[in-house]
Amino acid sequence: MRLALAIASLLILVVHGSVFYQQFFHRWERHQTAYFDQAKSLSKNDRERAALNERSPRIEQTIVTQFGEQRVDRCITCHVAADDPRFAGHAQPLKSHPYLVSLGDKKKENGSWERRHKYADFGCTVCHEGQGRGLQAQYAHGDDHYWPEPMLGFITQEPWKKEYLPYLKGKEYLEVSCAQCHTEENFAGTPTIAKGRQLFFANNCYGCHKVEGISDGTLGPDLSEAGHKFKIDYLWDSIVDPRSNAANSFMPKFNLKPDEVKALVVFLKSRKGINFAETGLERYKTRLAEATKTEGGPAAAAKEISGGAELIDRFACTACHKLDGKDGGIAPDISYAGLMRDEKWIGDHFRDPRAVIPDSIMPTFRFTDAQFQAMTVYLAGRKTPVAATLTGKELYKEVCARCHGEKGDGLGPIAIYLDPSPRELTKTAFMTSKPRDRFKKSIAEGVAGTSMPPWAKVMSDGQIDSLLDYIDTAFVKSKRPAPKDRKLPETNPVAMSKESVQRGEGIFVARCGGCHGRKGDGKGPNSLDILPRPRNLRNTQFVNSVNDRRMFDSILYGVQGTAMPPWIDYGLNQNDVGDVVNFIRSMNKKGRE
Amino acid sequence: MSETTEVPKKAKTFDRLRVLPQEVWSSLFRHPLPDSDLGRSQTSFTNFFLHIHPVKVNVHTLKPLYTMGLGLISFFLFVILTVTGILLMFYYVPSVQQAYDRMLDLRGSVAFGTFLRNMHRWGAHLMVAAVFLHMCRVFLTGSYKKPREFNWVLGVVLFLLTLFSSFTGYLLPWDQLAFWAITVGASIAGYAPVVGKEMQFLLLGDTAVGQEALLRFYVLHIAVLPAVMTLMIMVHFWRIRKDGGLSRPEEAALPVAAAEVPKARKFGLQGLVRGQVLNAGNSPEKTVYSWPNLFMAELFVFVFTLAVILVLAMFFDAPLEEPVNVTHPPNPAKAPWYFLGLQELVSYSAFWGGVGIPGLMVAALLIAPYVDRGRKGVGKWFARERLLANTLFVSFALLNVILVIIGTFFRGPNWEFVSPW
Repeated sequence: MRLALAIASLLILVVHGSVFYQQFFHRWERHQTAYFDQAKSLSKNDRERAALNERSPRIEQTIVTQFGEQRVDRCITCHVAADDPRFAGHAQPLKSHPYLVSLGDKKKENGSWERRHKYADFGCTVCHEGQGRGLQAQYAHGDDHYWPEPMLGFITQEPWKKEYLPYLKGKEYLEVSCAQCHTEENFAGTPTIAKGRQLFFANNCYGCHKVEGISDGTLGPDLSEAGHKFKIDYLWDSIVDPRSNAANSFMPKFNLKPDEVKALVVFLKSRKGINFAETGLERYKTRLAEATKTEGGPAAAAKEISGGAELIDRFACTACHKLDGKDGGIAPDISYAGLMRDEKWIGDHFRDPRAVIPDSIMPTFRFTDAQFQAMTVYLAGRKTPVAATLTGKELYKEVCARCHGEKGDGLGPIAIYLDPSPRELTKTAFMTSKPRDRFKKSIAEGVAGTSMPPWAKVMSDGQIDSLLDYIDTAFVKSKRPAPKDRKLPETNPVAMSKESVQRGEGIFVARCGGCHGRKGDGKGPNSLDILPRPRNLRNTQFVNSVNDRRMFDSILYGVQGTAMPPWIDYGLNQNDVGDVVNFIRSMNKKGRE
Repeated sequence: MSETTEVPKKAKTFDRLRVLPQEVWSSLFRHPLPDSDLGRSQTSFTNFFLHIHPVKVNVHTLKPLYTMGLGLISFFLFVILTVTGILLMFYYVPSVQQAYDRMLDLRGSVAFGTFLRNMHRWGAHLMVAAVFLHMCRVFLTGSYKKPREFNWVLGVVLFLLTLFSSFTGYLLPWDQLAFWAITVGASIAGYAPVVGKEMQFLLLGDTAVGQEALLRFYVLHIAVLPAVMTLMIMVHFWRIRKDGGLSRPEEAALPVAAAEVPKARKFGLQGLVRGQVLNAGNSPEKTVYSWPNLFMAELFVFVFTLAVILVLAMFFDAPLEEPVNVTHPPNPAKAPWYFLGLQELVSYSAFWGGVGIPGLMVAALLIAPYVDRGRKGVGKWFARERLLANTLFVSFALLNVILVIIGTFFRGPNWEFVSPW
């Protein structure tokens, strides 16, 4: 017992000893002592030396109240020579901050410099970020991965993705802090931000994202405070691989070079909501002014109508779409727009893409009416069909592969941005269960409510046939069996009535909701694991294009090659299906919701 | 009178000065270090801090493997927490603007700041564990039985108070960990039927965790709960004495015929005791003097507890996460570890996990001594006579521990099952 007591007591003594040691021999004390010694040897007169002799190590701090919340910057406790020009050549932490013309520092006649941003006013973290209160390097610099503001361009934190680390350092990141006061668009000190802002427009980011005072997109997250909310590695990750941080993101992967990503990251990091340069009142006034901004007069409109091509170029439509030689690799080919759609369709689609293709991810842009008109006129005028000499195989490569994939697997480069997904032409079970006429019709007339446009005017009837032949031989690779004799009504035998719709809804929620969702939007709980995705039955254009016979076929006998089972085997009779069809039709009636 | 006049004045002053230190000493400590049984008795009897102990204790009480010192460990942790807590209070401000900055200052520039915080943090976690284990010990040795039923009830209440103290303290650093743990914990309270939302509002002073909640938790944590706990601990200790010391097997406490006192006799003051005379200390052959046996053991438990805390505080830093961001919950947001069992249950059913099952468990603990009235099996670990009760208790205790472990290590984003490896 006594021995155990003695050992435990000794342990307590040891811990006390080492804690006291840590407490009374700080690293910053050593730095300061070293500074005093070296400064003494550099001193030119006794007065300086006497002043240095007076000083003893202590916590030095600058309290900054001018910039947002009160900051307590203790950086100069270690970096005690930050403002001592004699230490320009020393190693950190005893190195003096360089004098830079780019920072506005001025060289005086006697050769000494005067700082533009005096440390007594600005402190350190206003520009460099980091944790001003910390006195251990790891905390002060922000190595601790919990700290939201590690030193800009200098510190990378432990959980950050290794492959990005080399890009996340560098002086450019410090422009973020410059821009909190120097908000001018083309301020000489912030070239990277200017470049990022330009890229933000060139790549159509503005179409989906809102950044206050810059853009009004509503499709993607509001980025007005992105710099305040996210660290640079997160921003980098989200731009390079949008689905890495949000699995459901439909943001396209843009093909950007690292220096472009960096410019965008720096630009976004500088968007911190309210910045130092403006007050809440000023901000409110600008917002009011923006809201009441008037469009240019009729003369300007007339001028714009003639400039559709130029506008499409200026608004960077080809950042996503393909138009002749330019291909953004994200959205459909619009080279043949005039042969596929009429002016009304194009105009409607411009003003609200989801009015005609309900699951489109195209942003609703806020252009003026004249601008929409001009671009519509231009696109509707594009009426050059494909070369008549193209064979099925060449045609497929030219116009189909972009969505349906080179291998016909429905995984073309832009397929992930389309909803519903392009048909998987290699799925034999499906491809052989439908008659050739149906496919021909889909190609010639398009599939309403989806990104499949009508091709009848783009290619000749013979070309469509040779295209289908190619698909059959290259992808389907199997003959269609003789069509089964199925008992299907031409029109719904159950009359549309309130009661029928109600019965249909009951059956739908119980039987169909798991995949098609209770609302019929194709987003039921099972839908995530199913490919092709369950049909969105609120896609009015599509539903209205499908006749009753096909509906009954799909429901009663299932859709081969998909997860849709033949419900006739699961106890639904023709009357039940009639109710369900009535329910689906009622959802897509005009005036409902 | 006549004597003093004969002594020279100078010598008198000098002599008095010479004996002064000794007089001061003996006024503080009435007895020299004891070397006789009388001295041992007097030492423990006349010292304020020692007199809560009996002069003699049963040897069974001193067996280390019987109590494992868990109750004492809990008490000493409480003392350590009080001391470190008071020191931390000198630096803390319960304001949402300042709290987190104060944490940074504690870590960066306050002398011993990190160390104090570490001690307080790990002490609090250990105390929850120690109190829980103490409760297990008391149950598994059947020590809650008559006449100790009420002390068991006090103990259960003290356990709940410990949890609540720890919970209220969890919010004070005002970092992401604190904010979301309390948000989750408080919403568990909100699942109670009828009064749930009101209770949550009363606790938080708002519909969400904010300045009001911080202030309330602070006051509860530093004033209300410690005061209540101190009082309850005092009663808890007092009852130990009044209930005849720690429990022990029957053979250790030889039954002494209860002296039924005839009414006709006359008594001095002691004689006012009527009815059954308590058994405490009635088996002289099996008792030893508290000084030094008991005090040495207690000292060891204290030194051991302190040493563990110090070593923990030295090598592991208390976490401090991001400043609070109310729009950005971590995924998953977890309650403090001792409530993760509840959170795990809540993930199956809000009412049953948050209120029903814990409520039933607490109720079962509270009435256990009144339901389980058999007198057999007291004072022995896992007594055969108490197989049913012990099995029930161990199953529930293990179930809780397993749920806490699942909640802590096996739950990832969206509360989905993940492997910690």
